[in-house]
Amino acid sequence: MIETKNLRKHFTDESDLVYRDLTFEDGKSYVLLGASGCGKSTLLHMIAGVLTPTGGQILVNGRDMAAAPQREKDAFRIAKIGYIFQDFKLIDEMTVQDNIDVLKLEKVDVSRTDELLSQLGILKLKKRQVARLSGGERQRVAIARALVKQPEIILADEPTGNLNYAIGRTITEALLEAGRGKTLICVTHDERLCELFDVVVNMNEVTASAAKGGEQDA
Amino acid sequence: MLKFALKNMLVRRARVVLVTLSIVLSASVALLAFNISQQVSEGIISTAGYYDMIIGPAGSSTQLAMNTMFFTDEPLGTISYEYVEELQASGRTNAVVPFTMGDSYNGTKIVGTSADYLEGKRLKSGEMFDEPFEAVIGSAVAERYGLKLGDSMVTSHGLTGTGHAHEGNPLTVVGILAKTGTAYDNVIFTSCETVWAVHDHGEEEHEDDDAEHTGGDAHAEDAALEGAAETAHGDDAEPEAPMSHAAAYSTASETGDAQAHGESEEEEHDHSHGDVCAILIKSKSFNDYYKLMEVYGANASLLCINPSTVLREVLEQVDLSTQIVYILCAIILLMNIVVISVITLLNMVDAQKEIALMRLIGISMRRIGQLYLIQNGIIGLISTLLALLLSHACLGLMSSFVASMGIVLNITAVYPLEWGIMALVFVLSVLPTMVRILSMSRKDSLNM
Repeated sequence: MIETKNLRKHFTDESDLVYRDLTFEDGKSYVLLGASGCGKSTLLHMIAGVLTPTGGQILVNGRDMAAAPQREKDAFRIAKIGYIFQDFKLIDEMTVQDNIDVLKLEKVDVSRTDELLSQLGILKLKKRQVARLSGGERQRVAIARALVKQPEIILADEPTGNLNYAIGRTITEALLEAGRGKTLICVTHDERLCELFDVVVNMNEVTASAAKGGEQDA
Repeated sequence: MLKFALKNMLVRRARVVLVTLSIVLSASVALLAFNISQQVSEGIISTAGYYDMIIGPAGSSTQLAMNTMFFTDEPLGTISYEYVEELQASGRTNAVVPFTMGDSYNGTKIVGTSADYLEGKRLKSGEMFDEPFEAVIGSAVAERYGLKLGDSMVTSHGLTGTGHAHEGNPLTVVGILAKTGTAYDNVIFTSCETVWAVHDHGEEEHEDDDAEHTGGDAHAEDAALEGAAETAHGDDAEPEAPMSHAAAYSTASETGDAQAHGESEEEEHDHSHGDVCAILIKSKSFNDYYKLMEVYGANASLLCINPSTVLREVLEQVDLSTQIVYILCAIILLMNIVVISVITLLNMVDAQKEIALMRLIGISMRRIGQLYLIQNGIIGLISTLLALLLSHACLGLMSSFVASMGIVLNITAVYPLEWGIMALVFVLSVLPTMVRILSMSRKDSLNM
């Protein structure tokens, strides 16, 4: 279970984001909806430990990861979190296989690679250089890399943001299928995809430029 | 980790090659500059190392050393061959080698000496000179004039090749030295007896010429030599009477033509009437060296030098040049340090996106540090080794430039400081990476 308490982030442009307390239960899929700049991606970054909150707590099974040292955050991220970035974060010069093999640096078991690539319909692209793939194919590679280590938590930051609805829906369905039984938190702009998730979180009501509190609406 | 590092380098091969090339070029210049300056200085000293004393007529010690060691400049003059016999009989020497110079073949200097002078030098073909009018030639001489064993060479008087020809006394090539890459390649060696005998004839011919051309001076080119001889002996005429060129070389003529042409075996090896330009000595011990130096140094008509000391002094006299070379080496090294640091840092900045990416997907900075340490370590190691190879290959190419000084550049010689430079280059190719990664590890992954 992931709980956020009094979470706050101050930015260098002097703007502030203050979050209402949130709870994400194990095994459920959540979709974060909201306008640009409302703090959806920032929340994912803070949960993943790639951005440190200015204040508050992020409790993962009771352990405050916001206060944890960087090394522990790194270990937590590699062991428990599968992160899918909007801009894929793939190494373009390398092949699909190499982009997944990069996890071996942290001794991650990548033996499920073929199974996942097959499930995502891109097994035949395994030896192809990422730079030569389409946007949809790249997103599937990013999903495969996030899921190959069988993470407990999947964070997806607008995984379909660059794709048309049809492809976006297919990929979201593939992501939900591959991440079945995991805690999935997904950010999207597309309200049409909300029906695929267990819980919809309206982030417009969760965050404010000043601390005002509020309730989770789902 | 290594496999991934190699794969990562392979996909970025253009960048890796450029970085490697930049480091190789920068480092090799530094290594080459240092190595060549060391070898030239050491080479000059070591060339003179075998003989611990050279005796010649009074005059310039530098000229005496350079003439006998590197065949440069002209001889100071002549001294009696009796000194050679005296030294051989002294029991204080391991080697006494006479040295004469005065004739040439098409401008190539002819050295009259004993076979001992060429000890340690390998013959490519033929044998060492033994009989009068036999000669061993340097490899470059053979190549330049297309000379082979059995060929004759008509020598001419003087060192410039413009003097009168000794047409009646050609030298026969009996041996060709293997290439040494030194001044020996450009010299013709024969026995002292040959030089004397040639001059017997030459003098007779010259006298005939004089009779026909009253007041003529066929030996004008030897004016400097004669002057030097006179200077050498002017104040001390007793042991060494002031000597004209004729006296220097033609005293053997008193024994007649027969001596030169071997009609009388006994007379042929009569050295007592010849003169030499210098005597090279290897004394038996320090004690013998100092004793000989004391005895012959006291003779004002003679000049006794330790060739190593003289050449060291020459090098010290040009200390300013040496210092300039070292300053230039230091500047080159400093520039290379800056260049290599900048290249490595730019390489890291280029890799920043990749590092941030790996960081975001969960690879720890420790692992990323190890990955880049391996990658840059490989680049650094290959670069330093290639730089060493390149600098020593350049040494080989440059050896011909310094060969005229009698110095053979050893392309396998590596000085301790070179290892130091290589270690510095290696550290510079790795250190900026580590500093950069350390600074990146203090930031949030998203803010890299």
